Amino acid sequence: MPSPEPAFPRLAAIQGAGFLAVALFALGFQLWLPRVLPGPADDRAVAEVLAREAQPGDVVLLHPWWTERARLFLPPGLPIIGYFGDEGDSLLEHPRIWVLSQPRLPFTPESSFSRAFLPGRTPLGAERRLGPYRLGLYRNGRARPVRFSAAEALGNASASVDAPDQGRVACVREGAGFRCPGGARVEASLHEVLYQPTRCLFVLPPGGPGSVEVTFHGVPPGEALRFEAAIVWEHAWKHGPHLTPLNAELFDAGTGARLATLVVEPGTEGFVAADVERAPESLRIRVQSNNAGERETCLRLRALGHREEGG
Amino acid sequence: MSRGPDRIDRRIALGLFLGGFALLWATEAAVGFVRDESVYFAAAEQVVRWLRLLLQAPGRAVSDPVTTQAFDFNHEHPLGMKLLFGLSWQLLHQASGWVRPAAAFRIPAFVLAASIPAVLHAWGSVLYGRRAGLFAALCFLAVPRHFFHAHLACFDMPVAALWLLVVYAFWRAETDPRWWLWTGLLFGAAVATKHNALFLPAVLLPFTVHRALQASAGKPAARSLLEQLVAALALAAALFAVLALLLTPAGLLRGWAFLSPPTAVVGLLGGALCALAVRLRATDEGTFRAVAPLLAMVFFGPAVLYLVWPWLWYHPVDRFAAYLEFHATHVHYAWMYLGHLLREPPFPLDYVFVVTALTLPISLLAPMATGLSSLGGRAAAAVLPGRWRRPGAASASEVLVGVNALASILLISLPDVPHFGGVKHWLPSMPFLALLAGRQVQLAGDALGAWLAPRLGRLPQAAVTPLLAAVLLLPAVTLTAHVHPYGTSAYGELAGGIPGAASLGMQRQYWSNNVTGVLGWINQHAPRGARLWLHEVNGLSFRDYQRNGMLRPDVQPANGPLDADVAAVQYHQEFREQEVAVWQAFGTTRPVAGLYIDETPQVVVYQRP
Repeated sequence: MPSPEPAFPRLAAIQGAGFLAVALFALGFQLWLPRVLPGPADDRAVAEVLAREAQPGDVVLLHPWWTERARLFLPPGLPIIGYFGDEGDSLLEHPRIWVLSQPRLPFTPESSFSRAFLPGRTPLGAERRLGPYRLGLYRNGRARPVRFSAAEALGNASASVDAPDQGRVACVREGAGFRCPGGARVEASLHEVLYQPTRCLFVLPPGGPGSVEVTFHGVPPGEALRFEAAIVWEHAWKHGPHLTPLNAELFDAGTGARLATLVVEPGTEGFVAADVERAPESLRIRVQSNNAGERETCLRLRALGHREEGG
Repeated sequence: MSRGPDRIDRRIALGLFLGGFALLWATEAAVGFVRDESVYFAAAEQVVRWLRLLLQAPGRAVSDPVTTQAFDFNHEHPLGMKLLFGLSWQLLHQASGWVRPAAAFRIPAFVLAASIPAVLHAWGSVLYGRRAGLFAALCFLAVPRHFFHAHLACFDMPVAALWLLVVYAFWRAETDPRWWLWTGLLFGAAVATKHNALFLPAVLLPFTVHRALQASAGKPAARSLLEQLVAALALAAALFAVLALLLTPAGLLRGWAFLSPPTAVVGLLGGALCALAVRLRATDEGTFRAVAPLLAMVFFGPAVLYLVWPWLWYHPVDRFAAYLEFHATHVHYAWMYLGHLLREPPFPLDYVFVVTALTLPISLLAPMATGLSSLGGRAAAAVLPGRWRRPGAASASEVLVGVNALASILLISLPDVPHFGGVKHWLPSMPFLALLAGRQVQLAGDALGAWLAPRLGRLPQAAVTPLLAAVLLLPAVTLTAHVHPYGTSAYGELAGGIPGAASLGMQRQYWSNNVTGVLGWINQHAPRGARLWLHEVNGLSFRDYQRNGMLRPDVQPANGPLDADVAAVQYHQEFREQEVAVWQAFGTTRPVAGLYIDETPQVVVYQRP
């Protein structure tokens, strides 16, 4: 029976020692990993702190972003943010952020997280160690009071479809949204935009030159407006000659003046945004795309107050 | 001299086969159904229905309309394995009730998967030594993802086994009589299993040419017959080129009837090759053995495929072309890789290498990688000019192993080839890497033993290699046991394990099968008659979970979150919208249960409040 003869026996012996070292490292890793994973007592400890100390408006940010098991045991009603890329989220509706991290998990670099998360954030007290968890509270300097949100104000809005051959036809209210001619739809719902779950004004345009129009009254005048548009889910990534850009326009419903225009080209993932310095009292959003296929639109229109003191 | 293993190694190989088979069967019940598996179950049942018809009304069963209707379902894959799955199901479940349906379907796959360690030992023990063969055998099945795929009534592990068997037979054929015939028959079984096997002749052709040139050196009669073989093939290729030019390739396929010029070319070529092969055997047995395996593959490959796949019987050319077309233009499913969702080509060239490195236990990756690179170095050394040549140059047999270790990896690395599905698509490479790992561990262990023995007097030198092998296998076995039955979620230490891979932005799991992790909770807590949405689990799998006793029979399948009482969402980066849709429909972001492996969410369960 043949047995391979090493050309360089010493090198082969070193290789054997190397293999042994690798195997011992692998065994060590497997013994170490369970020790950095949290247990039920750790979960309870975190939940108790948050149940005791969290305030309305607080949010929990998970680090690493995928540690969503926390949704099982954190206090109900406390928003939890955990999506790919969430460290860069300004979380502008939340003045305080609890960062629930597991820094000892493999490939959980603090530096890149801190680089994206820390600017504009101030620690409020020392980070707590609860088993493998670290729980830190931060003041969110990027927060802005939200004075108006189109998604939340849809109940008092009106909607219509404006088509060149049919004129303006009112949409029918259906539940919390509207059903419109030509298959168009408007509703306030949760959707994913580039992995980020977000509550937004979900609009299906009718296609062709026609557009969906949604009109809001009672907008707090004088506040700054942020207008954002995106195509939801995988439809955003899709591209090709059969898909057409999505045009979203914002008007002063009182004067008809155009305040902002957003164009979401096929293949654009994530929100495109425009800021308007001062909001009028009533607003109209118009959404159009020549080919309505896969143009499932997520719109955010918010009137934002000034940054809070100390932010 | 025969290349067959000796009596002891044959017994070890048999033990490995039986042990592997028993282990797979014993651990099968917990393994969920991957997205395609229930489709293959259904296709296998369809085969059985047709076989019953064949017994009752043979004339009708073999007619064009009936074969078309019977085998149209899932015609994107040949029938070989589905025929075995169906026969096993009929025999072991339907007729006897000995095992549950899923186990009955899967048993033929266990047989093929268990043959891999057996063949690795049989080959490795002859090529490198007993300990090398044994390590190769054990290390292949110790990889968590290999162990998982070995359980499935699918085609990836069977085609990996048959690829190995074909190459092993091809290797044996050089010295052992009749193995050329086995090469051809096994290749027929391989192409009747999955389309990967169609690349085997191209992989083995250079070795055939090399063998033939060596065997016929100094034998003018044999060399002349070889030249005539090549001339016959070249003439046939030229005639096909002319026909394609005259008729266009599409026209050539469309007009290819039983009595037509292309059939005549194929018939004449077949006749010529047979006649030349017979003369070659009579002239020089060595040269015949060099070319006979490939010739047998050329004959038996199409013949077996055609015989076992009635869908081809009346329309062999256009349906085979449609089959190839399906795979050549396969849809690209989204797949997460280092923080990027791969959705369309060109895919990164490094994908296959990186995924292989991240999913293998590092204690097995190390000997595989050093074995391959060592072989590369020794193969290069073999072609160096005399004074540069070093001892230990690679033999042609080793180059055969090395080329097959890389063939599937390189093939799937092509940027336009679909990359979803992960390691299962280049599984045929892995047994050969295991073989190289076996050599490397034996060599390194022996050298380490020789170095240690004088220093550690009480340690027998011969014990070092088995000890090293055991220490190398231990982390892999531990990881496999830890992650079973969720093998498609497994990542090695280089990735930082499963949580590290999640942070690196790697694909979390395959589709469908991990749902077994939450079926227990659903069975216990779902209201009676609840409407259940099992995200990414198709209707056939839903039925299979119920008929295999894994899901309560009163639970009803829901079409989506809107009509569901309970939803089990699989964590895939490309499906985030669907989990958000559950939040929207149920009015909550709080799950009630889930499958979390080392903290990573795999399947998350929501219940409508």
